[in-house]
Amino acid sequence: MAELKCIVVTPERTVCEEPADFVALTLFDGEIGIARAHTPLIGRLGCGEMRIQCGGRTTRYYVEGGFAEVLGNVVTVLTNRAVSAEKLDEAAAREQLATARTQMANTPELMAARDRAIELSRAQLRVAKRIS
Amino acid sequence: MAKARALDKRRKSIRSIRKITRTMELISTARFKRAMDRASAATAYTERITALVRDLVRSGLEVRHPLLQPRAEVQKAVLLVLSANRGLCAGYNSSVLRLANIRRKELTATVPEVQLEVSGKRGISAFRFRKIMPDETFTHFEDRPSFEEVDVLASRYLSAFEAGDLDRLDVAYTKFESLSRQHAVVETLLPLGGLESGGEEHAEEAGRTQYDFLPSAESILDEVVPTSFKVKLFKCFLDGAVSEQIARMMAMKAATENADSMVSHLSMIYNRARQGQITSELLEVISGAEALNE
Repeated sequence: MAELKCIVVTPERTVCEEPADFVALTLFDGEIGIARAHTPLIGRLGCGEMRIQCGGRTTRYYVEGGFAEVLGNVVTVLTNRAVSAEKLDEAAAREQLATARTQMANTPELMAARDRAIELSRAQLRVAKRIS
Repeated sequence: MAKARALDKRRKSIRSIRKITRTMELISTARFKRAMDRASAATAYTERITALVRDLVRSGLEVRHPLLQPRAEVQKAVLLVLSANRGLCAGYNSSVLRLANIRRKELTATVPEVQLEVSGKRGISAFRFRKIMPDETFTHFEDRPSFEEVDVLASRYLSAFEAGDLDRLDVAYTKFESLSRQHAVVETLLPLGGLESGGEEHAEEAGRTQYDFLPSAESILDEVVPTSFKVKLFKCFLDGAVSEQIARMMAMKAATENADSMVSHLSMIYNRARQGQITSELLEVISGAEALNE
């Protein structure tokens, strides 16, 4: 049977295109695991970690929003930003969290923006921490 | 001697200009390759988004989104003009600006409030020259516009459109078709004209795959539409960057070739002048000697 293939695309470049045994993605409400012969699926991604396991080796990425499509043993991830977990800057994420926390938020829109910023930086921190 | 020396001086200056244009040609060739790689990567993303929308449509979902609905009454329009920061690229800037001017006149005739936003120093100065002050100017989009930078701009348009502060967005830029074909166009990006959902394929392949939608097809559509707008805008910027490099490459190539032909032409005249001078000097010497002999 055909092996699973994982393609990660951002508007600027194709981040990775590689075979995999198992892919774990963070959807909008939690993690999903995809092995081969998964049902066709289109899902909204949240922000968080993406793991690609291939032959005992695990590659980790930090993925920020977008969509995932599973069809015929091909997992396509369309996202605005995908960074390899090793390249995540923990200090920068921490700083981002600190500035987001002190941001003024006196309207619902500003509040939503602040919450989103906090969520994004926390997700980055989580992924960065797991690697170290 | 004076004439030959002047010719030689001109030849030298043309040679040094040729060196500059040749270097510029090489630089823009390298930049073009880089820009081209980025553009093709963006194409991969757009194609996948389009495929995703097609799959959504196939699942029997009616594509309806506020961004797709044309407004009955257009109160406020924005015209975004993408030009280059630098010149020396043949008709690249002027053809975009010409189209933009025409569209601007059309818009001001029908729409009460038109805002003009210009990217690129050349475009800004051209509008200033016509005594038109752009409402917003950007000069930070160089030959490698990044998605993050464009995203800021796109999000601003999206929120303005949703809040009703913007009814129409037109973008004037140079569309890249192939290496030998780029032309200036004006496209309306907001409201989005359609999501290129393949109509014919829809009928024959409908129901072939049953997708699971997480959380639901509607919610995915809600996010696909703004994303595809952002990518479209990004694509405009990338196309512009690629076309600029191609235009400069061609212009500089032509300039180098012209310099070559001028140098060879001048060399010929210079050699003739030098030969003529030698001949006349010889004649003078000979006639002088003859006169002494007599």
